[in-house]
Amino acid sequence: MNATLLRAQIRSQIEEKLPSAFTVYRRLEQGSIPTGIPQIDDTVQGVPLHALTEICGSHLASSGKTSLLTSLLAQASRDHCCALVDAGDSFDPASGQAAGIHLPRLLWVRCGKSRVKLPPLEQAFKVADILLQSGGFGLIAVDLSSLGERVVRKVPLSSWFRFSRVIEKQAAALVFIEQEPHATSCAGLVMRATAEPFGLSGNLLTRFQLKAEIIRGQEKRPGRSEKSGFSLRTQWA
Amino acid sequence: MFACLYVSDFPVQASLLLEPAEARKVLKQSPLAILDGPANLPRVFALNQAARRAGIETGMTKLQVETYGGVGLRKRSIQTEEAAQATLVDYAGAFSPRVESTCSGAVILDLAGTEKLLGPLQKIVQTLTSNAMEIGFDLRVAIAANPDTAFHAARGFSGITIIPAGDETQRLARLQVSVLTASPEILEVLNGWRIWTFQALAALPTVALVERLGQEGLHLQKLACGQFDRPLLTVQPITEFIASFEFDDPVETLESLFFILNRLLQQLCSNLMAGSLVANELRLTMELEVRQIQNGQNGEKYQHEWKLPVPTQDKHMLFALVRLHLEKTTFSAPIRKLTLEVVPVKPRMAQGNLFAPPSLEPEKLEITLERIRGVVGTTDAEGRDCVGSPRLVDTHQPDSFTVWHFSGRGESANLSQAVNPIVTLRIFRPALETSVELDGETPHFVWLWQRHRRVIAVSGPWCASGDWWNASAWTREEWDVALKTPAGIGFYRIYRDRIRQRWFVEGVFD
Repeated sequence: MNATLLRAQIRSQIEEKLPSAFTVYRRLEQGSIPTGIPQIDDTVQGVPLHALTEICGSHLASSGKTSLLTSLLAQASRDHCCALVDAGDSFDPASGQAAGIHLPRLLWVRCGKSRVKLPPLEQAFKVADILLQSGGFGLIAVDLSSLGERVVRKVPLSSWFRFSRVIEKQAAALVFIEQEPHATSCAGLVMRATAEPFGLSGNLLTRFQLKAEIIRGQEKRPGRSEKSGFSLRTQWA
Repeated sequence: MFACLYVSDFPVQASLLLEPAEARKVLKQSPLAILDGPANLPRVFALNQAARRAGIETGMTKLQVETYGGVGLRKRSIQTEEAAQATLVDYAGAFSPRVESTCSGAVILDLAGTEKLLGPLQKIVQTLTSNAMEIGFDLRVAIAANPDTAFHAARGFSGITIIPAGDETQRLARLQVSVLTASPEILEVLNGWRIWTFQALAALPTVALVERLGQEGLHLQKLACGQFDRPLLTVQPITEFIASFEFDDPVETLESLFFILNRLLQQLCSNLMAGSLVANELRLTMELEVRQIQNGQNGEKYQHEWKLPVPTQDKHMLFALVRLHLEKTTFSAPIRKLTLEVVPVKPRMAQGNLFAPPSLEPEKLEITLERIRGVVGTTDAEGRDCVGSPRLVDTHQPDSFTVWHFSGRGESANLSQAVNPIVTLRIFRPALETSVELDGETPHFVWLWQRHRRVIAVSGPWCASGDWWNASAWTREEWDVALKTPAGIGFYRIYRDRIRQRWFVEGVFD
């Protein structure tokens, strides 16, 4: 018997008893927040709402991940209230304002700064959970890139899965900034940022050449990646 | 017309107000006595009907009462009675703006002109009685043409009494003279004359009565006839919104504390609603059994203040704020007394901003922020908030910012202004102290992440200084350096603190 026919026969017998067994789960795909970088927005139409996004980059070398996050916050704060859960307290408000973030609409949560004994990673995850439960934020960004890769790697997959399922029901984007991607298939979009040779004008740094590699997009499957290069100017250039 | 609301056995009913509704119903049916007096010899001060039926009398000692068995005994609390009286006045204030707090457990309200708003007298009386059950009072209600007739009718008759104008003498005739608030000497004289009822007192010849008892005798006779009229001494609007509770035994568990907190907040919010006001600030004071050492506070008190972003009357929101704060606070001693104070303001009506982004309701947002503070803490070592909206300080000193309360209601962003992405500095907070090997005057090697990193390109020096006129003076020499790392090239900002003569890595351009 032909395999296709056999499969159809088995399916017809089981589907009545277990209708959910053959139901393909599809994510809601509604809207996105532009990153403000045309090259990325042309490729992936910005950061998707109702989905988890990962932006990765090295913490030793300049990669552009923070600039990408800042640009995203600047775009999002025009229309939404945003939250930045800063696990390493590394956000620079001066750079943020220069990049165009509307600071009164940004909730900045600085983890690991008080005498609370909870580790910064747990603090960041708990705060993200509270923010997701409360709603009202168009963009929730969790910056874990200051934390050691070994620490973040220990986050169980079930946590990422839970985040991805909760954010699906909300008109918000959940963005994690990390050194390496960890959410695997729970992420709707995974980007890796890398820096290319920088530009010096005389002895003044004026421009960064960056590259964003789309590891997993809404229409991409793992294994196929697309790179888009762009340049960012410095604040004083 | 005037209505008198009278709470019989007021000390007993007041002591039951803090009980849950179901427990209160059960306790009302069982014998209960309130003790007062010196600690070594307390005596029965008040008791309920079930206790009277059991044979308990006022003035019995605690030991005598205990011989009966099954009688609940409670210590008298003046504060509880004052709070109950305040609740009764607030309750009456919901029906009339003119309320007199006549005595403990009795208020008189002027019903003139309220018929159009509240309906006929029968309906008002029924509403007064039934609603009072919900707040925990079994009321006697009497309505009459003058305040004192209503008061005596409420004291003397159980249930609801309505005395039409002109029938006062006839309706009050059966009342005992002891219902009158007269001095014990006068009552003793009347008792000696065998004058036991209002009818007998009203029948006495006026001139002879004045000759023997003076003006007080005449006053009592007019009261007995129901012919004495006077203006109401109305209660002034509450200006201070304070509620407190002193525990008999200091409490150690939050559950016990939350139960009382909820009741106090309910009372405060009711007062606010009665005065058409909203809470702008909330202050919590807790007196501890011994000195609190943990927070370094001097004294036996723990205090906290909430400045509410949006004035509110919502007791659930206020309770959630206090609960979340107390859950993350530890006390080194049991709590003896609890005081809550509300700073009231007049509510302001504000129109929503059409161009503001959708955000949480202010009350929910405040609770969310408090929950987040419970996770990450309130302030850092420098006293800056850990949760809020960043705001730059007007100074040239790098990494100077404050964290303000986040309301999510910032001014509309300038949408016409184009947002151009730029290279952002990722800050190391605090800056990493490092050592720098110089080639001439420019950095050649930088010690970073446990290794010497070779400088590939350098930009600087950029010198800055400030606050030289005070003790917090700073002066620095900034360099932007490209360092070779295993992951690629990292562009870092380093600086030399000219005062301390040390090098630091401030951040990385990322």
